[in-house]
Amino acid sequence: MFSQFKYVKAQTIDEVLTYLGDRDRCVKILAGGTDLMVLMQRNLETPDCLIDIKGIEEMKRLDFVQGVGLFVGASVTVNQVTESKIILEKYQALGQAAKTLASYQLRNRATLVGNVCNASPGADLAGPLLIFEANVHIASLDGRRVLPLAQFFTGPKKTVLAANELVTGISLPDLSSGDQSLYLKQARVKGHDLGIVGVAMRLTLDQKFLVALSAVAPTPIRLLELEEFLNAHPRTPELATKAGEMVQKLIHPISDVRASAEYRLLIAGVLVKRAVTLLTTREAN
Amino acid sequence: MCENQSQHGPQEHCSTYIDSQQPRVFLSCWVNGEIISAQIDPMITLLNFLRQGLKLLGTKEGCGEGECGACTIIMNGEAVNACLILAVEAQDAEITTVEGLSTGGQLSILQSEFVSQDALQCGFCTPGMLMSARALLDRTLDPTDPEIKEAIAGNLCRCTGYSPIIAAISSTAKKEREERK
Ligand SMILES: Cc1cc2nc3c(=O)[nH]c(=O)nc-3n(C[C@H](O)[C@H](O)[C@H](O)COP(=O)(O)OP(=O)(O)OC[C@H]3O[C@@H](n4cnc5c(N)ncnc54)[C@H](O)[C@@H]3O)c2cc1C
Ligand code: FES
Ligand code: FES
Repeated sequence: MFSQFKYVKAQTIDEVLTYLGDRDRCVKILAGGTDLMVLMQRNLETPDCLIDIKGIEEMKRLDFVQGVGLFVGASVTVNQVTESKIILEKYQALGQAAKTLASYQLRNRATLVGNVCNASPGADLAGPLLIFEANVHIASLDGRRVLPLAQFFTGPKKTVLAANELVTGISLPDLSSGDQSLYLKQARVKGHDLGIVGVAMRLTLDQKFLVALSAVAPTPIRLLELEEFLNAHPRTPELATKAGEMVQKLIHPISDVRASAEYRLLIAGVLVKRAVTLLTTREAN
Repeated sequence: MCENQSQHGPQEHCSTYIDSQQPRVFLSCWVNGEIISAQIDPMITLLNFLRQGLKLLGTKEGCGEGECGACTIIMNGEAVNACLILAVEAQDAEITTVEGLSTGGQLSILQSEFVSQDALQCGFCTPGMLMSARALLDRTLDPTDPEIKEAIAGNLCRCTGYSPIIAAISSTAKKEREERK
């Protein structure tokens, strides 16, 4: 129990991977620490080695390449996301979700990748990343792999990451201008809380809907059935109402400290209806 | 091995508050313009280092979990919650706490505006509020009300109702703009 606590500010990815490969230690990655520190304060996490990744140049990457897409390195903060012109213009739902995450000073530390790795069912950035079909870039001493985000979450606070693996960043494919998206979040207090329900919705230039919800299932989820329904039906004013009714049949939220299951169902219906209405009327204008 | 989840009872002091009995590590950083070198416990938070190590008691601890903003300081130009940062993370950092706002015992414009506009009552939130406001004004001297509200949304105040705080930040911006002219 009194194993020696070690804090390491890594300078390279290889250094991180070497530490993560040490099976005798409980090694944790420290990004912004806004999830991890809270758990450590409560003694729910008691790592004996923390690897700070904020000093690694490669992890600071936030760049966009026309025709390829966006790459967000593992130490890019949520405020950097909210201030990125390209994200606000192209990946609107992501920019909007980032602005709802916690408070300004917290967003100066919190990272986008940390939000994903923490794998809270209510993680605000997960829904938007799912509708942009994001990929997670993973590295370990055994090599590198890239995985669709849709396959990343396995349960509340659980991911496919092995103990020796590091996420180096998240990439989003480029999209056509005219691609529209939005993020709607119902929370108890603005600027302070995970959502009770979060709805991320996208309407592509070729008229395909993509929908993801957070805080209504053990992980953030894409709602493929709802997408199919929306894509198969004409854009009548009733479409939004029907989508709002349908989502309530597709999800099975739980009751917790933030809201009851009944309230979550109700709000999910309202937000999905609102999202469809906003996206389809925005388009008509 | 990472199986050591919750070995301690919830009521026990947690590792980031008490002396963790770990070998000390060397920390050097700038605090309010002064260089600080110290041997520190690697597990303490930056908030604890400022308050207990440096006896800078202006920065407050409310929740210890990022919720209340009472611990807000400016680190490398950005407002951050000192309770969620390990002191060792501040290596080479430039830190400003509320003690660094005044010069030669003279309150800054921001502080004077807080006083004259009744932007504080009990004062517990004030150091954090001031630092969030300072960080905002360092970014822009022409903040809109929504920008001010966003900047202090992570600072809870249970006394003032926020309006006087927003007014004080707004009038500081105006005065500092005039001063720059
Ligand atoms: C007061 C408060 C309010 C909050 N409000 C919100 C909110 O509104 N919405 C929301 O979604 N979240 C919220 N959060 C949660 C948190 O701020 C976010 O999830 C944040 O994005 C986490 O990022 P981080 O860099 O701080 O992660 P860290 O705490 O550094 O890491 C989180 C977890 O991911 C692991 N990890 C981090 N980076 C990597 C990597 N590169 N590879 C592998 N593993 C990694 C860490 O080991 C740790 O287990 C809130 C937290 C607090 C304290
Ligand atoms: S003490 Fe740091 S946010 Fe409350
Ligand atoms: S003045 Fe009392 S909490 Fe703000």
